Amino acid sequence: MSEYSFSLTTFSPSGKLVQIEYALNAVQAGSTSLAIKATNGVVIATEKKQPSPLIDHTSLQKVTILTDHIGMVYSGMGPDARVLVKKGRKQAEQYFRVYKERIPVSQLVREMAGVMQEYTQSGGVRPFGVSLLIAGYDESGPHLYQVDPSGSYWAWKASAIGKNMINANTFLEKRYTKEIELEDAIHTAILTLKEGFDGQITEDNIELGIIGNDHSFKILTPSQVKDYLDEVE
Amino acid sequence: MSILEYNGGAVVAMLGKNCVAVASDLRYGIKNTTVGCQMRKAYPIHQKCLLGMAGLATDVQTFLEKMKFRVNMYKLREDRDIKPSSFGNMVSSALYENRFGPMFLEPVIAGLEGDDNTPFISSTDLIGAQCFTDNFVVVGTASEALYGMCESLWKPEMEPEDLFEVISQCLMASVDRDCNSGWGGIVYILTPDKLITKELKGRQD
Amino acid sequence: MSLSFLDKSYNAFHDDQSFEEANSNTLTLYKEPGLVVPPTFNNAGFRDQSHEIAKKFAKGTTTLGFVFNKGIVIAVDSRASMGNYISSQNVKKVIEINPYLLGTMAGGAADCQFWERYLGMQCRLYELRNKRRITVSAASKLLVNIMYSYKGYGLSMGTMVAGWDHTGPNLFMVDNDGTRLKGNRFSVGSGSMFAYGVLDSGYRPDLTEEQACELGRRAIYHATHRDSMSGGIINVYLIREDGWHKISSTDMDHLHWNYVEDKKKEIADRNKL
Repeated sequence: MSEYSFSLTTFSPSGKLVQIEYALNAVQAGSTSLAIKATNGVVIATEKKQPSPLIDHTSLQKVTILTDHIGMVYSGMGPDARVLVKKGRKQAEQYFRVYKERIPVSQLVREMAGVMQEYTQSGGVRPFGVSLLIAGYDESGPHLYQVDPSGSYWAWKASAIGKNMINANTFLEKRYTKEIELEDAIHTAILTLKEGFDGQITEDNIELGIIGNDHSFKILTPSQVKDYLDEVE
Repeated sequence: MSILEYNGGAVVAMLGKNCVAVASDLRYGIKNTTVGCQMRKAYPIHQKCLLGMAGLATDVQTFLEKMKFRVNMYKLREDRDIKPSSFGNMVSSALYENRFGPMFLEPVIAGLEGDDNTPFISSTDLIGAQCFTDNFVVVGTASEALYGMCESLWKPEMEPEDLFEVISQCLMASVDRDCNSGWGGIVYILTPDKLITKELKGRQD
Repeated sequence: MSLSFLDKSYNAFHDDQSFEEANSNTLTLYKEPGLVVPPTFNNAGFRDQSHEIAKKFAKGTTTLGFVFNKGIVIAVDSRASMGNYISSQNVKKVIEINPYLLGTMAGGAADCQFWERYLGMQCRLYELRNKRRITVSAASKLLVNIMYSYKGYGLSMGTMVAGWDHTGPNLFMVDNDGTRLKGNRFSVGSGSMFAYGVLDSGYRPDLTEEQACELGRRAIYHATHRDSMSGGIINVYLIREDGWHKISSTDMDHLHWNYVEDKKKEIADRNKL
């Protein structure tokens, strides 16, 4: 990039960065994702709507593993998220290479948020059209973070992003308790998704990822998801 | 003559019961000429971690500054002190960065780790191959003599007082068999609540 | 004649023509001592290695000697090293050839010890043959002749021969190159430059015996402090008309802390004024 290629993300006279707001709009248009931090783990859940019944749904995956003890889900543009996944995975491995120690969740989140920020200030690029929910379990316990296209990030007890985020957040606020355990959190996550879900919820059109105090992030298989759906019914 | 032996010097680290110790000689020489006898070769990295280095003095100084920089950056980034074992890995990878033009030094790392202050020691060679032991590590021009002394004097579960006695005896006896180290010594004893520094008088030849 | 093989004119097989003819391809390793190497012995490259080994045993050293009005002071350290390993701190580096002659050792321990003992023997034989003591000049000449005849064979020696003969005090420096120098001040060994520094600045011909001995001691002390290959005990000898006397044998470490104390006192006294 030459020094003459200025950033496309330029302040409006009122002090807004409209490109970032457009990016947030892209997130709002994306399918709903949510996550709940429990006392002994974190669950993340997302809708996986298929644009056509002809798509092989096994090829779609929105919940991804960044490193053994950290996973994430996105709302917004899938291809953009893949870039961040790639960078996040690399950062986690680089950290491990230097310290022979697992990267703390906060460190990985900050690095990824840093990447997203860079794309709001660099020349010749556009901001990422995704928000992320990053869940992990490290030496200091379970963690849940949300990262927005601007590069801002927060630690949450529970949070929802995407199309139905407002309703989902209201629902989560009502149902969240401080003492909630992982199994209950999974049920709550499913119930939250069900709220305002367009059509019948099945093991094929939602995805769940959990991390417990075994420090190992797992993406649930459709049959495991089905078991949880049966429990909720 | 190896560049590692250009300035002379010896460092030893030992494990005790809930404590660790690092000791070094004080000589700074150029080949066989003794130029100074105030040169400590062990440095506190933070409250619970020590770094000892033997080898080419200019590299030792440069590498120390580099490690201070990285440890400070780590502290700012992660808002915590680096664990001695992680610091060992950091040192190792920093040395391997210069695999084909190495820093001519051999470090030892000693510290107390975690809430229960588990003692930790390790050493690496000049390109970062790590060596972990649960008794002692030695580097420098007197390393052969130090191995012999440590093998015979070290015993498990030593209290700080005993550890000081043993590491001092090992150092002083060993440097008396090596031309290019000695001229006094320095001992650091690290316990969960304090770092004790003691200077040792030694032969001046 | 137990040492007869060293006699240059002697050849064990000189008269045995048939033996020599039968071994016409016999190699002579060292010309002078007439050692015979069997034809089956593969000598290729062997000599070079033995030189390396000899060098490894060479010890770092500081020795010095100087002549002043009352006689000669000889002072030496006592460290023996192999590479950087200190193999002994209690080496006698002054060889008492006879009551009027001293030799000092620097270089290879074996070479110095052997040839200076041999010199002692030759000096005694001279006395028996000539009914008078050998001069220092002649003794040092005997030694340097041996050195010259072995030149290039890898001997390692830097030695001073000092004594009192009918001409008065004499000091010679002899080394393995075949150098023989008469002089008033010498220092030999790895620490010699440090010793010279002290010696040259403190030397005067009219020193008292005590001052002279202290100068020698102090010069060696500074050398043992600065030169890592020198150290241990400092031995001081004084040679007078009545022969040599061993003056002192002091651990350099004791000296060091004494000197440190003296320095402190000196500074304190100066501040008082």
